[in-house]
Amino acid sequence: MKRRYGVVVALCAATALLTMTACGSSGKGSSASGTTTLKIVAADYGTGPSNTSQIYWQGIADAFHQANPSITVQVQTINWNDFDNQIQTMVQNKQYPDITEGDYFANYAQEGLLYPVSDVFSNPSNLLGVFKTLGSYNNVQYGMPFTTSSRTLFYNKKLFTAAGITSAPQTWADVQADAAAIKAKGNIGFGLPLGPEEAQAESLLWMLGNGGNYTDSSGHFTINSSQNIETFQFLKQLVASGDTEPNPGTKNRTDLWKQFAQGQIGMINGSPALIPIIQAGKVLSDSDWASVPIPGKTGPLATTLGVCDFTAAFKNGNTSKQAAIKKFLDFAYSDTYQLQFDKEYDLLPATNSATQQLSSDPVFGPFLKALPQAVQYPSSTAWAATKTQIQQTIGTAITGDPSKVLGAIQQTATKG
Amino acid sequence: MTQQLVSTVRPRRKTRRRFQEALTPILWIGPALGLIAVIVLWPVVVLFQTSFQHISPDGFVLGSAGGKNFSNLFDEPDLNGVLIRTVIWVGAVVIVTMAISMLLAQVFNARWPGRRVARWALIAPWAASVTMTALVFRWALDANNGVINVFLHQIGLIKSFNSNAADWLGRPSYAFAWMIAVAVFVSLPFTTYALLAGLQSIPGDIYEAARVDGATPWQMYRRITLPLLRPAFLVAALINIINVFNSFPIIWEMTRGGPGHETSTTTTFLFQLKQSFIGESAAMSVINFALIVVVVLAFLRASRWREQVS
Repeated sequence: MKRRYGVVVALCAATALLTMTACGSSGKGSSASGTTTLKIVAADYGTGPSNTSQIYWQGIADAFHQANPSITVQVQTINWNDFDNQIQTMVQNKQYPDITEGDYFANYAQEGLLYPVSDVFSNPSNLLGVFKTLGSYNNVQYGMPFTTSSRTLFYNKKLFTAAGITSAPQTWADVQADAAAIKAKGNIGFGLPLGPEEAQAESLLWMLGNGGNYTDSSGHFTINSSQNIETFQFLKQLVASGDTEPNPGTKNRTDLWKQFAQGQIGMINGSPALIPIIQAGKVLSDSDWASVPIPGKTGPLATTLGVCDFTAAFKNGNTSKQAAIKKFLDFAYSDTYQLQFDKEYDLLPATNSATQQLSSDPVFGPFLKALPQAVQYPSSTAWAATKTQIQQTIGTAITGDPSKVLGAIQQTATKG
Repeated sequence: MTQQLVSTVRPRRKTRRRFQEALTPILWIGPALGLIAVIVLWPVVVLFQTSFQHISPDGFVLGSAGGKNFSNLFDEPDLNGVLIRTVIWVGAVVIVTMAISMLLAQVFNARWPGRRVARWALIAPWAASVTMTALVFRWALDANNGVINVFLHQIGLIKSFNSNAADWLGRPSYAFAWMIAVAVFVSLPFTTYALLAGLQSIPGDIYEAARVDGATPWQMYRRITLPLLRPAFLVAALINIINVFNSFPIIWEMTRGGPGHETSTTTTFLFQLKQSFIGESAAMSVINFALIVVVVLAFLRASRWREQVS
């Protein structure tokens, strides 16, 4: 009898072990020996294994560990398609990373999940001031600009010449005429990525061209304004005429950028991050493409969309860990690493000191000068859910009724 | 333990011993029950709980939501389309899979040279990760240079790349049809093997006796094979219904349910809701759970499961 009970006890213990290991992955941190482990989750800006951001961050983490042997930094990178989704899932499951780099959302600050910048960064005044509001909640800054970029229209000069077009497009009418001419030669006229990856950027670039935006000047959502509906009616008609790739609502930015780099697309809105993709494609030489201000309805945009990716530090109620985060962020924001990142991905720096070093650069200089006037995404806490909805559904405005689709998004934005 | 021994102990100890004897089997199956409770039942309980809670997008419980999650869900304009699509998805995939598998199982049951190799080959779609298979098909259907489109172009069915006709996954109805085909493709191996096992369990002497009695092959198939294959057929169909209903990776990797939710089934739809509306997503999950229970019960009843399988 006794022996039997022993077996039962063993079985029970085994069961308990099995069920416990399933949820035993959380709760890492400082251990008894005085070492601290930080986990940074970053978006991957690379296009493949050769230039993945994992390499960039691992380089910083290794150098940092060498300087601070008691702190180990674990690096995880996630591609842009899944980044928001995975971060959101980590947050929902209360498995907070220590640092994120990529999109930042005001609602994390609202929930009290983030450290204010001043708690985890020694020199907040070195961060570009332009994006301060975007990274703030209730006038306290939580998001630290890490890299910035602005958008321009890239066009394939080879395809333009072949189609008999002599100048870059300035208005929507130009875009349509040029796209039709390029299409007649068997290529894609305009690349319109309205799929989930970054539909919110592409949509805003077109809205701006008609004097629209996601919000008005006082920050109220105006997603289904008459200008925006008109914008999408224009896009609907552009797609129906066959001047874009088929079914833009299902096409993502990265895929279309690569297709542009293969020389199959006449025009596409891009950021400097498209440049390394073009170079890696080895199809277009530097003189085969150019970039110009984005065409609007009646003329090129005077301002463009300034995109900023942020780092944010999640609270953990552990002061030694907070100190470690501060040490790491101070280290990672040094000019060397800022410039290394910008060189790798052709993006722009987000600190004043790094910007100064680039201000006379022939490629980056003009982008940097334009940044202070750039239009930014809404900074309200409703933006996270609104953005998800835009990414998922705004592409259906191309096949359905624009006012209905935009109206539904407006409803989500103002639901509160 | 002999009767004699038991009768000599005092009454109190006797009841105690009886109690212990009754307890022994429970201790033996206890760990298994514990596992089921923790891994199967507890999540279901949490699921139902969650569906009545008001939860912020960042995972904080803000109190009770009453029936609001459900009413929000029923107000989703895309819900009807999603439900109808789910029915088509399960129906089409299971019926086509079962039909093809019946044929394949017969072929694999017959003796012919190379059967061994063919049986191995059939395992491939099963052994490969469904996510990988879905990704392979997604790129094979790429409007620009997908291998399926290249082939269709060469035989003259597709006139030009990057056209609407070549963009299979961009058009919701075609995308859905292709995804059904992929789901059938990955379901075939299991179903075929389940049916093959059923076929091989039918004793050969029954056929011999029938042949002696002068039965035609068709008669033997209808009167012997089909009835005796019924248990295996029912098990295969039921497991397929459950699997296909809950299938996530194919749709997720090939279209992400888009554009909008126009190629979503309930399973991918609830995942999309989860991003911002956890409670509503849980409500969708509860409906999903109820649906599958109803479907399975209806299936078991219609097929008179008890008589057939047990």
